[in-house]
Amino acid sequence: MTNNSHQPLLEIRGISKRFDTTQALDEVSLDLFPGEIHALLGENGAGKSTLIKIMTGVHQPDRGEIVLDGRPIKIGNAVEAQAHGIAAIYQEPMTFPDLSVAENIFISHRDQGAILRWGKMYRDAEAILAELDVHLDVRQPARGLTLAAQQAVEIAKAISLKVRALIMDEPTASLSAHEVTQLFKLAATLREQGVAILFISHRMEEVFEIADRVTVLRDGKKISSKPRAEVTPEGAIRDMVGRKVEESFAKRQAQRGELLMSVRGLGKDGVFSDISFDVFHGEVLGFAGLVGSRRTDVGLALFGVELADSGEITFQGKSVKMHSPAQALQIGIAYATEDRRALGLTMPMSIAANISLPMLREYLSPLGLIRRTAEESAAERFRERLAIRAPSVRVEVARLSGGNQQKVMLSKWLNARPHLLILDEPTRGIDVSAKAEVHHMINDLAAQGLGIILISSDLPEIVAMSDRILVMREGRPMGLFAREEATQEKILTAAMGQNSGAGELR
Amino acid sequence: MNTLKRYLRPEQIRELSLVFLIVVTLIFFGTQIEGYFSGRTFNRITTTVAIIAVVAVGETLVILTRNYDLSVGSIVGFTAYFVGTQLANNNGIAPLTAVLLAVGVGALMGLINGVLVSYGRVPSIIVTLGTLAIYRALLVNYSGAKTVTTDSLPQWLLDLSSANLFRIGDLDFRLIVGVALALVVVFQLVITYLPFGRRLYAIGSNPEAARVAGFPTQRTVTTAYVLCGMLSGLAGFMFLARFGNITVVAAQGMELSAIAAVVVGGVNVFGGSGTMIGALLGALMINTLEQSLIRWLQISEFWRDALLGLLILLAVATDAVIINRLRNLWARSGLQARPATETPGVQVLEEAGHDA
Amino acid sequence: MRNLERLKSWEGLLLAILVVVVVNNAVQSPVYLSVENQVNLFQLFVERIIVALAMTFIIINGEIDLSVASVMGLASCLLAFLHEQGVPLPAAIVVTLTVGVIVGAFNGFWISVVGLPSLAVTLAGLIGYRGVARILIEDRSIGNFPEWFDRLGQQPLVGPFPLASLIFLVLLVVAIVVLQYSAFGRYVYVIGNNREVARYSGVRVRRVKMMLFIASSTIATLAGLLLAARLGAVRGSTAEGFELDIITMVLLGGVSIFGGSGTLVGVGLSILLVLNLRNGMSLVNITSNTQTGVIGALLILSVLIPNWGQDARGLLSRRRRTGHTPVTGEEKGG
Repeated sequence: MTNNSHQPLLEIRGISKRFDTTQALDEVSLDLFPGEIHALLGENGAGKSTLIKIMTGVHQPDRGEIVLDGRPIKIGNAVEAQAHGIAAIYQEPMTFPDLSVAENIFISHRDQGAILRWGKMYRDAEAILAELDVHLDVRQPARGLTLAAQQAVEIAKAISLKVRALIMDEPTASLSAHEVTQLFKLAATLREQGVAILFISHRMEEVFEIADRVTVLRDGKKISSKPRAEVTPEGAIRDMVGRKVEESFAKRQAQRGELLMSVRGLGKDGVFSDISFDVFHGEVLGFAGLVGSRRTDVGLALFGVELADSGEITFQGKSVKMHSPAQALQIGIAYATEDRRALGLTMPMSIAANISLPMLREYLSPLGLIRRTAEESAAERFRERLAIRAPSVRVEVARLSGGNQQKVMLSKWLNARPHLLILDEPTRGIDVSAKAEVHHMINDLAAQGLGIILISSDLPEIVAMSDRILVMREGRPMGLFAREEATQEKILTAAMGQNSGAGELR
Repeated sequence: MNTLKRYLRPEQIRELSLVFLIVVTLIFFGTQIEGYFSGRTFNRITTTVAIIAVVAVGETLVILTRNYDLSVGSIVGFTAYFVGTQLANNNGIAPLTAVLLAVGVGALMGLINGVLVSYGRVPSIIVTLGTLAIYRALLVNYSGAKTVTTDSLPQWLLDLSSANLFRIGDLDFRLIVGVALALVVVFQLVITYLPFGRRLYAIGSNPEAARVAGFPTQRTVTTAYVLCGMLSGLAGFMFLARFGNITVVAAQGMELSAIAAVVVGGVNVFGGSGTMIGALLGALMINTLEQSLIRWLQISEFWRDALLGLLILLAVATDAVIINRLRNLWARSGLQARPATETPGVQVLEEAGHDA
Repeated sequence: MRNLERLKSWEGLLLAILVVVVVNNAVQSPVYLSVENQVNLFQLFVERIIVALAMTFIIINGEIDLSVASVMGLASCLLAFLHEQGVPLPAAIVVTLTVGVIVGAFNGFWISVVGLPSLAVTLAGLIGYRGVARILIEDRSIGNFPEWFDRLGQQPLVGPFPLASLIFLVLLVVAIVVLQYSAFGRYVYVIGNNREVARYSGVRVRRVKMMLFIASSTIATLAGLLLAARLGAVRGSTAEGFELDIITMVLLGGVSIFGGSGTLVGVGLSILLVLNLRNGMSLVNITSNTQTGVIGALLILSVLIPNWGQDARGLLSRRRRTGHTPVTGEEKGG
């Protein structure tokens, strides 16, 4: 725990950043000292990734400045960040799969001279890796490496570039316990060398093992920034959650009906395991968890996009093996994706065409042609029901606002008349009134007898909307909470793996 | 085994298996055809391969970056004709000037390709499909449909294609073969030892990462195209020296042979991997097979294209399958399911699971 | 609808250029606008135009089929070969069509089932199928088809229209109906726009792709048969290089090479444009090779110009948004 100097290496001063309707960062300040590991905590949407993007030159702040060695700097792009000695390592490393490990380490160097000296490159690479106590064959192509190894290569790359401030963004999310220990050794080595490290992680135990200082962000604001000794896990969680549970959500009356789907022991190698739950007609089952909890992967397995390796699914009393979305739709499962732009909607097509797509068969005339009027009137019904704001259903969805696009996507899945509707972050990135409308719709659907799985990182939302909540962490189940006992703190605690027993049942 | 794995990259495995296949082919046909192992066979194969190899070197540079150049055939044809005409009109032009002329014209044509692909952001297939036609049209127009004939060309040029570097018994090591080999070696060194060469690999391997890392992607790709054009120009000169008679359909379709050679030689159509040696071996493999088949089955050279098509398909398919296997291996080993930890949360769930 | 506006302006541009070209040609040659001449004009390219209809679907779907011209050549050569071997022509036609379907399924297998890039597979096909054609025909020219076959290929059948033109018109109508009004057509667009969205929406992506490639090769085969009938004789090089015209006609018509957009109206206009342009060039004695060069230039421009247009639009919209970085649609905050 060497804090080599009292001068911060890198100061973030009053950074603010706004995206359309969201204030991602609001006057955030924090200091990175050389030779110190500074942990950054916050739930999804708190502003962490925006901050990283600003520090690495991907975005520019609206207000505020970054000060390096006492002088304000501009970071216009990745190259400038590198020149300043700022580097970032992510969960998903960006390596060149066909190039060797050694080459990946040195590829960004500008001063390699006219002729590459492979012998020297291999030796230097081995030296850096030895320094980090990492054992890799520097000659092998990066393609064959494990994720942990690729991260080690990224760290080696940063060291070779004389990094001064290293950002580690959820680096441990996909690592084994052993690999995490290795990573921490690397981090410790860097710390000894005087590198300032900004460490973002959801794993409380890691934070408390390795951090020297802890900062908590919430809703784009810095809540607290203290030396580790002054912080407790409970206190940190309280800071992360903060607000009271708002009563702005519609009251849910749980009307549970028959068993709709039963999942036992669902698993996919290397992704998630041991997932078991029941969903009933008329109930909302929430999936809570943090980044990397793999909830989406479970949803995709239920929808037949990704195939599970083990476990059983019983749907409406029949045992099923999911193998394609087309099949899922046929038996009555629909999945509204997280990323509506990339996966949910066809942007240049009209609202009506998007809504009818999964069920296009039903809008065909005897000759096989699309009955546009039928399609449009179906779309009109949804436009009314969900209050989609658009001049007509013929408008192309690319022109709609985020909230309205979300409603179109939901309409598409509702139109498929599913028995089970899986919603993945249905209110992400949309404004407050649209959010409320979506919540009302969820309640209505449940009242009509649909079973709903609600995957959400919005804690108040999931606590208010769900009848029961399944908490996942890194692909493993962490607890199942009933409505009465669920609080944001309890959910977050479970999501971070901190629940110390006394698990509530149901 | 580990030392073997250490020094044997996947590309080298491909190259070794090609060498093996070539040897097998030679031995096989040697037993089937009389007089197979003769100087004539050797000369025929090596001189044909020499010209294709030079083009293949250029094509490799481009394919490494995940692009294509379909216009090389037209560039070879045009430069052959252009230089041929210049020499026919003025026999006194120095050999070096003639070569530089060919290379220069090729460079210009390559530059146009490169600029359209990297700065115009037009997919390389579209650009080079278009320039294939444009350059060929240029050739036809420039030539006025006349043929360059051997008797109009200076003697040194005509002697060039049979000029020997040295002789071993019956086998001639022709000058043009030597030049081709030299170029293969030079460019193999370029892509192995020069930062420029490594950037070609990087851009093809992960264009996004290359961009993020701040590489001068556009400049690099354009340079690759210019070099490809230059090499095609040189090949055009060699073509002129070899054939003398240049018609307007000279070298038509050569791009397909070049791509076939490169792909069979282990250069990945997705970019990012492959070597010049591989391209050379690919050219050698295809030509050996082709020439041998012709002589063996007494079948016409018309089998050539069908063979080429099949070989390309096989090469791409095996590459894809192997890469898929590798990807699965990587995915599996990277994200291990962690051993179950004893946390109360898990126990909670097991009881909860049987809830009714 | 922004896309539609953009397309309308592209089609408007095509129409304007078409008018200019036609007027120019008419001035050059007094008989230019006569029905006979226009039909003749059509005839010379009708096989390519027929294949362009299929190519439109393929490119909208986000794929490409470089092998179509070689399949045309193969079909012509196979027919001639079988005929020469004494097979009665009607049977030979059936066999050839069947081979065309098999070729399409072969392409489709590697592309939709194995998942190889269509560029590589059809490039191999371009070389390979031409090669098979050459094996059959070698360097000879085979003709001597029965008189009825030649007549069908060359003489008008209904009014001034020969069989091939009629087939084109029928296929055009079918293509428009399928592409714009049927479920299959919509799937083609959706897959081309975003393959994953299609898959998540329950569309059977592999099946659609397989069907497209089978259709492409089958139509190319049909076109090859028509070509053999029109020419009366077939060589190993028949239909060589046709893919350039075909792809140009599609891309020039406003179909994006990246998939997901384009209409047959645009393709129709660009077909007319290419035909009249080629004819106009012939009128001033520009050789066929040079014409091909001009077509090549058009091909490049048909992608280059929209790119520039996009850049210009991007710059304009960014300037309009004062102070804000453009919304990229990524998640905001974290």
